Amino acid sequence: MDMRFTPDELAFRDKVRAFLQADLDPDLARKVRLHQPLTKAEMEGWHAKLNAQGWLAGNWPTKFGGAGWTAIQRHIFEEESARAHAPRVVPFGIAMLGPVLQKFGSKEQQDHWLPRILNGDDWWCQGYSEPGAGSDLAGLRCRAERQGDHYVVNGQKTWTTLGQHANMIFCLVRTSTEGKKQEGISFLLIDMTTPGVTVRPIILLDGTAEVNEVFFDDVKVPVENLVGEENQGWTYAKYLLTHERTNIAGVGFATAALENLKRVAQAQVHRGRPLAQDPLFAAEIALVEIDLMAMSTTNLRMLSAAAQGQAPGIESSMLKIKGTQIRQRLDALTRRAYGGWAMALPASGNEGEPEEADEVLSATATWLNNRKLSIYGGSNEIQRSIIAGALAKG
Amino acid sequence: MDFQLSDDHRMLQDSLRGILTRHSGDALWPALVEAGVPAALLTEDEGGFDGSGAAIALIFEEMGRAGVALPLTGTMIGAAAMAQAGRPAEDGAIVAFADAEPGTRYDRGVAIRAEGDRLTGRKTMIAGAEDATAIVVTTADALWLVQPGAEGLSMRGYPLIDGQRGADLELDATPALRLGGLADFGVVLSRGVLAHAALALGTITAAVDLTMDYLRTRKQFGQPLMSFQALAHRAADLAVEVEQARSAVVNLAGHLTDDTPLRDRHLQACKVTVGRVARLVAEEAIQLHGGIGMTEEYALAAMVRRLLAADAAMGDADWHLERFALGEPAWA
Repeated sequence: MDMRFTPDELAFRDKVRAFLQADLDPDLARKVRLHQPLTKAEMEGWHAKLNAQGWLAGNWPTKFGGAGWTAIQRHIFEEESARAHAPRVVPFGIAMLGPVLQKFGSKEQQDHWLPRILNGDDWWCQGYSEPGAGSDLAGLRCRAERQGDHYVVNGQKTWTTLGQHANMIFCLVRTSTEGKKQEGISFLLIDMTTPGVTVRPIILLDGTAEVNEVFFDDVKVPVENLVGEENQGWTYAKYLLTHERTNIAGVGFATAALENLKRVAQAQVHRGRPLAQDPLFAAEIALVEIDLMAMSTTNLRMLSAAAQGQAPGIESSMLKIKGTQIRQRLDALTRRAYGGWAMALPASGNEGEPEEADEVLSATATWLNNRKLSIYGGSNEIQRSIIAGALAKG
Repeated sequence: MDFQLSDDHRMLQDSLRGILTRHSGDALWPALVEAGVPAALLTEDEGGFDGSGAAIALIFEEMGRAGVALPLTGTMIGAAAMAQAGRPAEDGAIVAFADAEPGTRYDRGVAIRAEGDRLTGRKTMIAGAEDATAIVVTTADALWLVQPGAEGLSMRGYPLIDGQRGADLELDATPALRLGGLADFGVVLSRGVLAHAALALGTITAAVDLTMDYLRTRKQFGQPLMSFQALAHRAADLAVEVEQARSAVVNLAGHLTDDTPLRDRHLQACKVTVGRVARLVAEEAIQLHGGIGMTEEYALAAMVRRLLAADAAMGDADWHLERFALGEPAWA
């Protein structure tokens, strides 16, 4: 056993740090740190910088234009980026659709769509959940009917993150109602500028419009936009979900949140001295930090096993649960550290005056927004069922 | 022993529920004043007609359940303190209670100080300050009365998470009247804590009720969510915690005029219990709903934000826990 990074990995980490130091605009990093919504241009600008470096798609093989990083390298990049408050890479094209097209797409689809993801020609969003199909995703009803060389799509998707910026959406659609519900689902690429597509924002409780509803009304989609085979979409969706999860533990985000919490606890006065010196509160911080230390190693152990060819199983579910619990506890403690000061409404137009009020507002905004962590990407209840199901099989 | 409402209090509750059903927005406050609700929060000596723990608890619980955000707590604390100091507020007064300070959690008198009869410094998160006819300000060991528009006073308003408007106060050698020492107003301030706790209890009840309804009606995998044991057990745990919160409020209401340290221990226990239940309910109500619980247009969103505010006001669960553990008084 050797818990240290190899010299190559350390050299890679230094390279990442140097890049972040040189190329990450401090104003942009501040917005990320304060959890303020980024503009489309800001996100695209960061993608372009990474792409120029050849680092946008760390998870893609080099033959598709990716960086071809190992799981450990990806982990290093994600952790360093989070700690530096770099914008996260928008996952829909890079982390989700890319691997599916590489595994199941046709040569034509790969040649056409993959470079466009890297170049920023397309902004992808994800059409999975529906109002009646959340945790029960396979119960989805959005319908695609084959008519000649087109599918005609009717139905609704929801919780479409950043769909307001997207020109393309990959959708799970129902192409058959026979047999098991999982067996009638297809994976379809839909141009959102097609007539009949409507996007409506959903305002969340932190006041932001991060997610959307997407409606399809007789939307014509060329059959060449079907990925793989008709009615095999569930297999591709499951593949996507396992590959979405390399950064599921969010160790870098948690580390950044812990550093922020310690800074806040140092600055807040409690009984005439820094809150960080209050034994009760310090113990609360310590308990989360201790949990994070263990989870961080769980994450590395699992990444290392995956690098040695072991297929990811329930490990990603375990990391999702523990990782989101840790981040939500950190968010809650940060609000608590501010005490009676943390009562102003985020996104209220009150930002910036006085300067420190920004920090307090961001604590509340982050608490509110990050409740999503234990809901999206398969809720923590679904993850527990996955773990329990595997344990029951023995 | 009898935990039932008295006939008078049941009538008050019925009348209040009627008003909260019929009126909203700007029409609500005048309707409440006309029905004597602010007066029910004050004793006869203070110019009201009740002011008991039971009355305060029932009024604020109803307000919390209805999701009403009005500067009633500040008005109650302020009017009672002014009356006790022999400077009764006018009828229909709105009094703001300026307690929190930026960067000091719940330490008082760090960002603000008194010199003679003038105050200099900052107060923050003051509900209703923009509409107030009087402002009661805390310093390290005293309560002060400040008039809006007084010399050296400036105010900057913004929305609070509980739906009210709040403000930051900046005082620069602002003339103020010392009402008395903080510990002299122990009962008055404890009534304020009871009000926040009862408001939270009402919100907790509403959020849990909404969650139970959702679990009974929302179907996934062809069954209501409540039929999944993992979710049903969490719902059961919430129901248990709601009763704990209710009893903690009853304890404070029943010991409101007792001598310290008994009153203080119930006050601290109440704030700890209600604060922790409020946090739990905020988190669990969202999680048990799933995505819909994150959306602004669903009723839960405003409830969750009010739950966050309820814990933070007048000392959160962490702060009172420490004082309880160390056997310290609530007001000193």
